[in-house]
Amino acid sequence: MSYLEYNVKHVPSGPRKILFLNWPLALLLGAVASVGFLMLYSVAGGSFSPWAEPQMKRFAAGFVIMLFVAMVPIWFWRNLAVVAYAVSIALLIAVEFFGAVGMGAQRWIELGPLRLQPSELMKIGLVMILAAYYDWLPVKKTSRPLWVVIPVLIILFPTALVLNQPDLGTAILLLTAGGLLMFMAGVHWGYFAVVLAALGALITAVFQSRGTDWQLLKDYQFRRIDTFLDPSSDPLGAGYHITQSKIALGSGGWTGRGFMQGTQSRLNFLPEKHTDFIFTTLAEEFGFVGAFSLLGLYALIIFFCISSALQNRDRFASLMTLGIATTFFLFFAVNMSMVMGLAPVVGVPLPLVSYGGSAMLILMLGFGLVQSAHVHRPRGAA
Amino acid sequence: MIRTPLRPLARILEARQKGENPDAIERENIRLRHEEMRDKLRVRAEQRLLLLGIMFFCAFMVIGARMGDLAASEPAEPRAASGGASIVAQRADIVDRKGRILATNMETHSLYAHPQQMIEPERAAEELGKIFPEIDVADLKKRFTSDRKFLWVRKKLSPEQKQAVHDIGEPGLLFGPREMRLYPNGPIAAHVLGGTRFGQEGVHSAEVVGTAGIERFYDDVLRDPAREGAPLELSLDLTIQAAAEKVLYGGMKIMNAKGAAMVLMDAHSGEIVSLASLPDFDPNDRPLPATGNDPSISPLFNRAVQGVYELGSTFKIFASAQALDLGLVNPSTMIDIRGPLKWGKHKIRDFHNYGRELDVTRIIVKSSNIGTARLAQMVGATRQKEFLEQLGFLDITPVELQEAKRAKPLLPPNWSELSAMTISYGHGISTSPLHLAAGYAAIANGGYTVKPTLLRQNSAKYGPRVLSAQAAEASRAMLRLVVSHPDGTANFGDVPGYGVAGKTGTADKPKPTGGYYEDKVIATFASIFPISDPKYVLVLVLDEPEIHAAGELRRTAGWTAVPVAAEMIERLAPLLGLRPAIEPASLAGITLSSN
Repeated sequence: MSYLEYNVKHVPSGPRKILFLNWPLALLLGAVASVGFLMLYSVAGGSFSPWAEPQMKRFAAGFVIMLFVAMVPIWFWRNLAVVAYAVSIALLIAVEFFGAVGMGAQRWIELGPLRLQPSELMKIGLVMILAAYYDWLPVKKTSRPLWVVIPVLIILFPTALVLNQPDLGTAILLLTAGGLLMFMAGVHWGYFAVVLAALGALITAVFQSRGTDWQLLKDYQFRRIDTFLDPSSDPLGAGYHITQSKIALGSGGWTGRGFMQGTQSRLNFLPEKHTDFIFTTLAEEFGFVGAFSLLGLYALIIFFCISSALQNRDRFASLMTLGIATTFFLFFAVNMSMVMGLAPVVGVPLPLVSYGGSAMLILMLGFGLVQSAHVHRPRGAA
Repeated sequence: MIRTPLRPLARILEARQKGENPDAIERENIRLRHEEMRDKLRVRAEQRLLLLGIMFFCAFMVIGARMGDLAASEPAEPRAASGGASIVAQRADIVDRKGRILATNMETHSLYAHPQQMIEPERAAEELGKIFPEIDVADLKKRFTSDRKFLWVRKKLSPEQKQAVHDIGEPGLLFGPREMRLYPNGPIAAHVLGGTRFGQEGVHSAEVVGTAGIERFYDDVLRDPAREGAPLELSLDLTIQAAAEKVLYGGMKIMNAKGAAMVLMDAHSGEIVSLASLPDFDPNDRPLPATGNDPSISPLFNRAVQGVYELGSTFKIFASAQALDLGLVNPSTMIDIRGPLKWGKHKIRDFHNYGRELDVTRIIVKSSNIGTARLAQMVGATRQKEFLEQLGFLDITPVELQEAKRAKPLLPPNWSELSAMTISYGHGISTSPLHLAAGYAAIANGGYTVKPTLLRQNSAKYGPRVLSAQAAEASRAMLRLVVSHPDGTANFGDVPGYGVAGKTGTADKPKPTGGYYEDKVIATFASIFPISDPKYVLVLVLDEPEIHAAGELRRTAGWTAVPVAAEMIERLAPLLGLRPAIEPASLAGITLSSN
């Protein structure tokens, strides 16, 4: 289905479009971001600087970007998908050569005043190109091997680049998001079964190899796995983050210690308290109720995205909305799991809450696309 | 898959019969097929979406459940972040016989720099120069501005220094926790304890390695994790040690000696209660080892253990004791002492002319070289060598100090009869003061050898018997007379109530070029006290003493080492828990006039 087939009459135009935005979704985003402001204010010891204020400005900028992107018709964005992907790849390669090194990994590229993290951009770029690809590909070809290999390569290339930075967390995120998008596009489940089985076999082999002379991982890598499986085995070393955040969550209890009353995060027990581990502050100060409410807000965002995708008969718009939602879901699911010790520490921020510009702007850009898809969805009889 | 043909023959024929356009049927069928396909796709997409929804839902549930699980968990006490590996007190303490700390560990900080993280390296170097005056500021500036990534600045910081460095506010200056060895008593027992240095140094900890003394000898034991930090208990007594060092220092100064050493040994167990050597040093800040040929110049040199000297007349008692033990003489046997005693080219003389003959007791009391040599002749070289070997004079002492291993006694190349005669009065054999103390212990304890040790023993530890009890007792009586008799060479050594017995020795120091100095002596006093129930042996050595007394320049032990030893016994005996006693009647009865 091409955009020429759209019943243009039924799509709102001009400033009137703003009324057709998915306002509940926009409000939810604002709510989640507000939780972030609150936490950053608390972590800074009751101060807007150094984190809460810039974060608010960034969210405002992000919101404007979202509105702008939403106003532009979705077909324009679809035609841009290849460009977005190509630019992301180019930047990823550029960061290899010109990138700044931060925290032991080369992830940033300086563009004038803007510090850009191309791997963030790639999250959107990948979703866009995959959605465009399956929109373009005749449905009956979806599961043919050749047409399966192409998107796999589209996913693996940036993943390899990101892995090389090294940024394992983002690489896994890209891989998973891309795979889920292929799944939703209708690729035969057999492929996924094979991949999952192979993965399972690989993991089993790795663990079986331990202690034998054909050991597949180095000893220290096994120790990291041990630490993940049992953080208390090394509470002051690699398990430190997890042990401390579990203490924070435990001390928060059901209702929390109260706003600005957290000790774990405020007394500097926790590293990265304003970025990747900000969830612990929330859990400590507002307890299970607060943490579960945030989870609920995230769930609602996902729900609104899925329902928007379901309503949308345009294949690109629908797949892209689902892709953005999946990426978003992976973000917070991985972050929360990591903080609570369900997943290894891989350095994924809590979306819209963690302090950080790049991730916030990119996410708002993504939701701009979702809004655009919603605004410009085909209406009336097909 | 059974597909409906797009142009079913039956329907086409039927339509043609009716005169309708059969293409409409095909179009109709294509539309139906498309709709069917789209519906299938729709169903599949919805199934996939449902599956995804279920996955999301499961993930939400798992995360939510985990939240609840953690919220319900008992919060553990928050724990402070430790900078890297935790430092454990690895090296065991060293304590004295009463459990008082002689060496322990203290947590301190090292100072290192990451020059590349420095903001103002030159200012930092200057500020450091103010805090540590011994630092070469120019050199530090050069190193700070080089492209090095890491350099050590100081190995140990006091808390005040650490604060001062912290106040510089230079982010490239960093502190690393580490343990250092602390000797809270400063120079007391310095030569026994020895010292430590840092071995492998890391940013988070450093290895402490023993470099000398007992720290070196027991380095493995002190570092053995299996001992779980159980302290090493020494035989030293901190109180005695402190008092002994004080008296020894005063004595050394009064007697104008350039060095001094003392050993106080429990005669029954071989425990060294106190061992000192002067000049000394502070093991917290060990001086560098001497670079010259003569290690004895360095304060690190342990005269009591490392120094091997000809200890002179103090050896005479071994000759008489052996002669008594072998039944060759009794204390009143008269010996011909007409001199000089000629033996080949050699002549043996006495300091004074003591007449034609003296009994064995008087030979000791007056310290006659000729008389002792005659006794040695009676005993013979072979038996003398055997006896001295049993007493431990021929080997290094087994004491637990690294330095003792290098203090091998100097012996004559062949133990001739002449050697036996000179050795009998302490010439031609060089041993450490500690050797001498162990030899005297055998006389003090009734004839048993003891093994000198620095480790606390719980009871008497006798080795094999080398002297009969009678010979030992008779020897003690002679030693007592050396002190108590007005003609005795050590008559300044009497300490009322404590019955000091002992023997002096004054030996000319050998020149490094050969021959002997005429004006440099080693003055030794080896003593046993209290004579009523001999418990302790004290050997005190002064290196090159010189004092004007009674109108003359005096160097002999009787004028130098003996008064210092007397002062020491007077001070130490009460601390050792000895009560002053009336002289036993049996010993008081033995007088020279009875002969």
